[in-house]
Amino acid sequence: MHALIQGVILGVLTGGVYALMASGQTLIFGIMKVVNLAQGAMVILGAYLAYQLFTSLGLDPFLAIPITTIAMFCLGVVVQLVFLRPLRRDDKAELSLLVTFAVALLIEGSLSLTWKTTYRSINTSYANSSWTILGYQVTEVRFWAFVLSLVALGLLFLLLNRTRFGRAVRATVQNPDSARLLGVDSDMVSALGFGLGAATAAAAGSVYGLLYPFFPGSHYDLISRLLSIVVLGGLGSVGGAVIAGVIVSTSSAVVASTVSPAWSEMTFFVILLLVLLIRPQGLFGTVGRGAL
Amino acid sequence: MSDLLSVDHITKVFGGVRAVDDCSLSVAEGTITALIGPNGSGKTTLFNMITGYLPADSGRVAFAGRDVTGSDPGRLYRAGLSRTFQQARVFPQLSVLENLVIAAGYRWSQLFTRRVAASDRARADDLLEEFRLAPVADLLAAELSYGQRKLLEFAAVLMSSPRLVLLDEPTAGVNPVMIETMERHIRSRHRSGITFLIVEHDMTFVMRLCDPVIVLDSGREIFSGKPTDVQSNPLVLDAYLGA
Amino acid sequence: MNRAGLARGGVFFALLVALPFTGLAHWQLNLLIFVLMFATMSSGWNLVGGFAGYPSLGHAAFFGIGAYSMGLIFQGHTLGSGYEPFFLLPVVGLIGALIGWPIALISMRTRADVFAIVTITFLFVVQTLAFNLHSVTGGSQGLALPTPPFAEVHFEWPYYYTLVILLAVVMLITYGTIRSKLGLSLVAVRADEDKARGIGVRVNGVKVLAFAVSVGITAMVGGVWAYYETFIYPQFAVDPLITIAIVLMTFLGGRATLWGPVLGAIILEGGQQTLAYNLGGSQFYLVAYALIFLVIMLLLPRGILPTLQDKLRMKGRARRVDATGGTGSVATAVRPGAVASTQGSGA
Repeated sequence: MHALIQGVILGVLTGGVYALMASGQTLIFGIMKVVNLAQGAMVILGAYLAYQLFTSLGLDPFLAIPITTIAMFCLGVVVQLVFLRPLRRDDKAELSLLVTFAVALLIEGSLSLTWKTTYRSINTSYANSSWTILGYQVTEVRFWAFVLSLVALGLLFLLLNRTRFGRAVRATVQNPDSARLLGVDSDMVSALGFGLGAATAAAAGSVYGLLYPFFPGSHYDLISRLLSIVVLGGLGSVGGAVIAGVIVSTSSAVVASTVSPAWSEMTFFVILLLVLLIRPQGLFGTVGRGAL
Repeated sequence: MSDLLSVDHITKVFGGVRAVDDCSLSVAEGTITALIGPNGSGKTTLFNMITGYLPADSGRVAFAGRDVTGSDPGRLYRAGLSRTFQQARVFPQLSVLENLVIAAGYRWSQLFTRRVAASDRARADDLLEEFRLAPVADLLAAELSYGQRKLLEFAAVLMSSPRLVLLDEPTAGVNPVMIETMERHIRSRHRSGITFLIVEHDMTFVMRLCDPVIVLDSGREIFSGKPTDVQSNPLVLDAYLGA
Repeated sequence: MNRAGLARGGVFFALLVALPFTGLAHWQLNLLIFVLMFATMSSGWNLVGGFAGYPSLGHAAFFGIGAYSMGLIFQGHTLGSGYEPFFLLPVVGLIGALIGWPIALISMRTRADVFAIVTITFLFVVQTLAFNLHSVTGGSQGLALPTPPFAEVHFEWPYYYTLVILLAVVMLITYGTIRSKLGLSLVAVRADEDKARGIGVRVNGVKVLAFAVSVGITAMVGGVWAYYETFIYPQFAVDPLITIAIVLMTFLGGRATLWGPVLGAIILEGGQQTLAYNLGGSQFYLVAYALIFLVIMLLLPRGILPTLQDKLRMKGRARRVDATGGTGSVATAVRPGAVASTQGSGA
């Protein structure tokens, strides 16, 4: 029982971080119908940027976030403009998968060249301190990571719901064609949307770097988790991604603490298949009217 | 005459909008029934539910005396209920002939026969002749005019010897000569025993060809009867001219 | 396809059969073995990714499954003649297909992008399992196979000829697919699945069948690879780069064509060995590979063969129009070229 509750605590706290990463990915899908396979690699890139700022300037990873998000936002815009925009519309869905996969490899390769392939971790002064509440351990850094994720998600929510850009994004998600007719510049929205997705990856990357050791190939683990989360939440639904992030992370932490860590990876996949069996559109996705 | 198709209290809601609202109607065997109504009255949604493309929220559909609610479009097609789409949907990378062949012969074992088997070829040739598509049989469907593509889509669904064909706006976007051609083909196929349910906006076309006429408004049937009575019905006038 | 096509196939395979007799060095045969592996896997991927239009990103998982199946079947066995593993390849293929079947059944019900997500997730799950299920796979320590008793001089030959046979089989399957109603159905699925479903095409059946055959072939290649290397390390057996390589080769040569994947494999596997040799460290290699991939996607998204075919067709059309004084009806001018470019005749 103790292990179970400890697993739930760990899962919920970590779930916040996953929710942040996944919200960027599902946003990109919502706007452009592109499944961004580079999202995991962008998170790891964010972690390396935070690592570099910490080791060479002593900048705390939490404080580095404004810098890394801006840098990664620009990178996201460039990826969209250079690699995704030129794809022809009729087989864009298929090609964009492969293009973002290639971008992921490009990032992985560049990271390996710059920082080698050994594991790195960001060792802040508070990295190992923790609180004990009612006999359950809560590491400090995990708690602050959770808080930060909530703040970032809150900002994202405000951006989407309270600004002109947010309105344009939501219109594009619902119906790209009518949005275009209403004067929404879809190229602009796509570029900014991809930038925003990359920015959330940067923020999540700082946090990820604090929580786990990482190496350039870490994005493979991440992307399979993220994909399971966005499918579970319903492709394109930001709220769904948040809830699914917590669900997936909690259940895999529980499996890890009660069964075995080896099988916790499997949890993602089993959840993914179950979702597709029972509710193919995900928890909060809508059944598209498809091509009809 | 018995009902070949009957729709019983069917409903579909899209995010709060009742696209089809507790709608019931029936199509008698041997008729050319028209389904008309103002834009957004739910005609295409109803088509999609009848042909298995959209699951209904509630209600039942029966075809040839059997309950087919929730059936797969492919099964309905094999059972003799086929349809065309508002925007003619053919396979642009396939030749005209192949577009016909693909619509016939759906037993598993046939998957491993020749791309264009002799028996399919014979049937397709007849249809190509009938629809005057023989000269373009080897062209890619992408190279046809829009009207020809509509004709091809219509011809293709006949490969299966259907009992009921649903046509979604057969005359939309085609020239007057093609409209006459379309009308001729519908009549001749009707004579050979096929029942039609047609969604159409062109009222003169409907008046010439269809009997009875069903009028849909806000997702439900408001009139069903002779075409001559349609224009004098106050409910219909109300629906079209706005309340 | 026609007599010229059959002749092309005959010459190609005669050449493949004859090559080892020209006294190639071991490293050259080794290179050819890898080219054959990738040509076979790309052709296999093409069945589902090219013809059906469902881009699987998980084929590397089935390569690994094939490798481990082969490894596990021969745990603790000694080999007599050394040819048993080759005779058991169909079993390995069947294992791959049986694992792929339910995954396809579930993930192909929705859209192609969900399918891609499920397959790539499956890849990483298999990778993690390969590392973590120590009792079965030996984890990162790896899994050893019995050493083959082949003579040093002709060590590569059995693997080489097995792969030639596998390539011939998958190309025959592809050819048969193109020529049969199955191929027609797959083209329809790829172009407009909803419409295809509505005219009675066995949409689900053909998709799942294509996937099962495709991953079965991939598993068999994995089996040959395991026996060739005689040692299975998880990071090489379940490597996302394998997926990327076979997808890239198919795209480069031309999707949904008979020869495209083979051509792509010859160009890229050759190039890859050169890259790996010249750039040494695998990190430059990753960057170079990713860049090549991006350039191909952006500049030649349809692949070499389809692009060439289009060029030829345009030329043919122009010539015919010239011959009729430029006034020939469009229909007759277009016709022969149009027919030649249908998916079916694919190279």
